[in-house]
Amino acid sequence: MQYMYIHTVDENLVRDDARDAEIQEVLDSWLNETMSSGVNLQGSRLRPTSDATTVRVRRDEVTLTDGPFTETKEQVAGYDIVECPSMEEALAWAAKHPTTLIGSIEVRPLYEQVDKAVLPDEKPTTKRYMLIVCVDETIELSPEEIAGIGPATDAWVTEAQGKGMRLFGSRLTGADEARTLRISDGDVIVTDGPFAETKEQIAGIDVFECADLDVALDFAARHPVATFGALEVRPFW
Amino acid sequence: MPTIISTFREEWGRIVATLVRRTGDWDLAEECTQDAFERALARWPHDGVPERPGAWLMTVARNRAVDRLRRDTLRATKLQQVAMLGAPDASRDSNDEDGRDGDSIDERLRLIFTCCHPALALEARVALTLRTLTGLSTSEIARAFLVPEATMAKRLVRAKHKIANAGIPYRVPSHDSLGPRTTGVLAVIYLLFNEGYSASAGSELVRTNLCEYALELARLVAHLLPEEPEAKGLVALTLFQHSRHDARVDARGNLVTLEDQDRSRWNRDDIDEAQRWLNDARMQEPFGPYQLQAAIAAHHARADSTSGTDWRAIARLYGQLVDATGSPVVELNRAVAVAMCDGPATALDLVDRIAASATLQGYYLLPATRADFLRRLGRRDDAARSYRQALDLVGTEPERRFLTMRLAEVTD
Repeated sequence: MQYMYIHTVDENLVRDDARDAEIQEVLDSWLNETMSSGVNLQGSRLRPTSDATTVRVRRDEVTLTDGPFTETKEQVAGYDIVECPSMEEALAWAAKHPTTLIGSIEVRPLYEQVDKAVLPDEKPTTKRYMLIVCVDETIELSPEEIAGIGPATDAWVTEAQGKGMRLFGSRLTGADEARTLRISDGDVIVTDGPFAETKEQIAGIDVFECADLDVALDFAARHPVATFGALEVRPFW
Repeated sequence: MPTIISTFREEWGRIVATLVRRTGDWDLAEECTQDAFERALARWPHDGVPERPGAWLMTVARNRAVDRLRRDTLRATKLQQVAMLGAPDASRDSNDEDGRDGDSIDERLRLIFTCCHPALALEARVALTLRTLTGLSTSEIARAFLVPEATMAKRLVRAKHKIANAGIPYRVPSHDSLGPRTTGVLAVIYLLFNEGYSASAGSELVRTNLCEYALELARLVAHLLPEEPEAKGLVALTLFQHSRHDARVDARGNLVTLEDQDRSRWNRDDIDEAQRWLNDARMQEPFGPYQLQAAIAAHHARADSTSGTDWRAIARLYGQLVDATGSPVVELNRAVAVAMCDGPATALDLVDRIAASATLQGYYLLPATRADFLRRLGRRDDAARSYRQALDLVGTEPERRFLTMRLAEVTD
């Protein structure tokens, strides 16, 4: 079973060098363990929210916002895709990840298993972006609109894949099926639900590789969810 | 030295733009340009101004950049940057000398479009455009926008980081997006102008000078994008507004409305130039919002007095502007024009309709305009009520004083 780790941290937290060094060490060994055992399929740190751009399309007008899709204290800082036999194991691995020293990890099953979940090596001439696809559940859609989302998304994926821009992507199971893990006073605490109760909830992700931000933004604006949700375009770090 | 000052303003943006293009390093570009100008200020009084000051400055700035890149640790990218700076490139080098064609103009265009990229926060676009194109220091820009210098410095740094980290491309947009992106650039320039225009009489000079910088940028964009009539329209509009600068505020810093302004204090040269830009713009399609606003301003500029103004033509133009923008603020302005040609009773209906649509809540000019119509209709109590509503919402001191004065007129 494949799961996504959504790493979240408070970007305003003051970090010191000692802490950062500790985090690096723990991360190195975590990556070694999880990659050699085949648990870790892909992952990356993401640039901070000051480098993010959020795309929404309303009444055929594309609006770009500098920043993330939501203004919460904790923000998405990175991700992993892991392969585990169960949610419990996925949580167990997450508990050992150094994000728990400074933030929390939301664990969400992928909606459907993805065949090629390992990314190719990065190229020097292109940039990688994560498109965080978020749905606003308060926006009501007509039955026709709802029926159209699936086919429209498929067409979008096919085009992006065909142009070699979409390296990976997946719908995620609902936010209500998420489990969020943090460490408090040395204890592992797992709560049901996503890392934050926001109006727009993460519904899926896409990993893009393209020439520049304009290309990524253009694709994001054409995603069907952009008309009733938001796509945050975050550069890989 | 006046020659250096004027050269400064013309050349700054061009040199920064060229260095950004060649090194990809915005900070380096700004600092080396700064160095070159300081060198000029130190040497030119003794040596005299060179025959081609632009070329002198470009050469000095570029050499400075090469120096600094070589002195930094020799990483691959730095070597690349040095190579780009030194590479003999026939088209580029000759344009540096000539200064006004081909590649060098494109450089400033690339710079402006990148600074005004819609993925950047609006306040970042404004600050970065000013910093890189006009040579204003971070401290001056901070004072112009009434924020601490540290805040402005952080704003500029974040913007440059985002450009690099998020992969905002350094280029003139492709044909498909040129239209909307140009509108974005013009909006930033107009915002700058309005910031300067709204600066009150006692403000710092750098703040009121924002109008001059905005005008300069508007002229530059119109020059760089000759096929864009809206760019000309913006120059016309800002010039018309700028022409009224000396008549807008009285000696005590109170706001003087258009109808009460001493029109002899309007700058006729600005008005004539504005009209020329508007005429040029009108020879091209399409007829957009800036041109419409400029055409309205032209009617005011031509009139001797409020009563002598062609309000019907203005109301018609506002109607076209409403169609073009769908803006309720423009609808309100149209109501004001309608009041002048058809009377306040008719206009009151229009204002009530806007109020009912609830699209202008919190905008003090809605109750203020309503109050004005009621006052002219002799409905003093109703007018007083609306003036009070407006006072609850008003933002600046001159406007507050004006409304207070009007309120007193209907309540004594």
